[in-house]
Amino acid sequence: MVPRSGLPGGSAAVVAVILVLMPLVLPSSTMATEILIFAMASLACNLLLGYGGLLSFGQGIFFGSGAYLSSLVMMHAGAGLISALLTAIASGAVLATLVGALAIRRTGIYFVMMTLAFNQTAYFIAYTLSDWTGGDNGLLDVPRPPLALFGATLADLSGATAYYVFVAVLFLLVFIATVTVISSPFGSTLIGVRENEARACAVGYDARNFKIVAFALSGAVTALAGALYAMLLNFAPLENIQLSMSENIVVMTVIGGTGSLLGSLLGAGSWVIISDILAEVWPRWLILMGGALILIVLFLRGGLWGGVESLMQRFSHQNKGHQGPDDAPDEKDESV
Amino acid sequence: MTDPCILKTENLSLSYGGFTAVDKVNLQVKHKTVHSVIGPNGAGKTSLFHCLTGGRRPTGGRILFKDEEITNKSAHARVGSGMARSFQITSLFQNLTVRENLRLASQGRDGNRALVFWRSVSARGEHQALADQVMERLGLTHKAGVAAGDLSHGQQRILEVGMALCGKPALLLLDEPTAGMGVNDIPMMTELIAELGKDYSVLLIEHNMGIVMSISDTITVMSRGNVLIEGKPAEIRADMRVREAYLGEVA
Repeated sequence: MVPRSGLPGGSAAVVAVILVLMPLVLPSSTMATEILIFAMASLACNLLLGYGGLLSFGQGIFFGSGAYLSSLVMMHAGAGLISALLTAIASGAVLATLVGALAIRRTGIYFVMMTLAFNQTAYFIAYTLSDWTGGDNGLLDVPRPPLALFGATLADLSGATAYYVFVAVLFLLVFIATVTVISSPFGSTLIGVRENEARACAVGYDARNFKIVAFALSGAVTALAGALYAMLLNFAPLENIQLSMSENIVVMTVIGGTGSLLGSLLGAGSWVIISDILAEVWPRWLILMGGALILIVLFLRGGLWGGVESLMQRFSHQNKGHQGPDDAPDEKDESV
Repeated sequence: MTDPCILKTENLSLSYGGFTAVDKVNLQVKHKTVHSVIGPNGAGKTSLFHCLTGGRRPTGGRILFKDEEITNKSAHARVGSGMARSFQITSLFQNLTVRENLRLASQGRDGNRALVFWRSVSARGEHQALADQVMERLGLTHKAGVAAGDLSHGQQRILEVGMALCGKPALLLLDEPTAGMGVNDIPMMTELIAELGKDYSVLLIEHNMGIVMSISDTITVMSRGNVLIEGKPAEIRADMRVREAYLGEVA
């Protein structure tokens, strides 16, 4: 699949520019970091929802377990930054493979219910194991170790800006990886499975395997985001693994626009910024967010990114006038 | 290949509860021939087709493909061994381009090897090449960039057959390829299938007698789950039982 949209092949460059601008424009680099962490989780959700057509309300499982497990290996096993993040990635992939393999045995509403049920189970497990997770109080005093490789310290991440740079680099890597995944044989087939599973089967694909791998990749990235979040807050609250976390991740993805990776960054960004502003105005700000979501779903089917794209198209049409050939093939490739 | 048949069924049966849709059918499809299965509604053609494609598990009997038993093989695994199918109701990747539809179909032969997520699709150029070749053969090259859902119905039916061709099959299973096609489009499809019969073995399920009589090498007539008669088009046309089976339905 050829990356199309207004930004052929240059979406990574666009992201790089945004990453540089974000801490300059936003009130704090902590907020910018938070946006990137949720954008990462949203990218992972987008792989499942936008490209695989799989609506998973189980993303909180991977986010939360990534936060807990990376924190625990740092606190009890003396793990450094990189090994803690790798632990999160591996555990996220394994958990998502298990959840995915069971949930995709059903489709449609039953599939969604299965992911919900798994999320509730994970929540109560975390709640029950309060000796390890801190239960209701959350896991306190999560460290943020320096970036070190083979015993040599490369960077101290205790400052907000330093941590932002670290997260931004990881985000860019995850973004490029996701673009690669989507344009791979796997990604293009996943889109085919979303479009028409019976046909995908008839041309020779075992759709289940593609869905399970999509889950594994999504879980790995979501858990990485969870681990980074715990290090940002120096704290792993129980909310990380709650159903509401899964909801938030799905909502950010839908607001931004499913099926477009830049949309995930936009969705997470607007969610974090708007909730920050609204929370100061009115304690019941979630009501307003609900209203905004309804409007977007009703009137902006491609999400915010879809809106941006159609604006850009209208703009370029006005500039070109009627020069463009009318019978230009309207390619329906996935935008990246 | 000593065996003249590519596909054989032995006492193939399929029952739904107490109703036997396919009753001990013995079918033999020879290499590089067009073999049609016809019969009045409810004769069991589609049930037979489901058994052959792997959509349904037969309740009795065996299916042999290239002398290998495939009775319980899953639908997607049959593609790897050289079978490909089209659907009676058009089943395409509606929002993807014609070119991408065919590329995905070509890549389908890879099965699980298509799970590689770290490489670009362009690393496997042969799939694109095959897709372009099939697109040329179908006369759809000028529609390469159009979404499959935006094609005319006739073109969608042609693409439907093309999807099966991309599997580089030894045996093509076509389920009513002309279903819903306009009169003007049918000759194009007839020509295509006749041509395919030279390169592939084709098993055709079809309602349109004109097509069946003009391009089939062998015709099997089914009635109430059984094989009524099998023979060359001329023999079928002359057979009284066939007339009865059809007229009986009308009356």
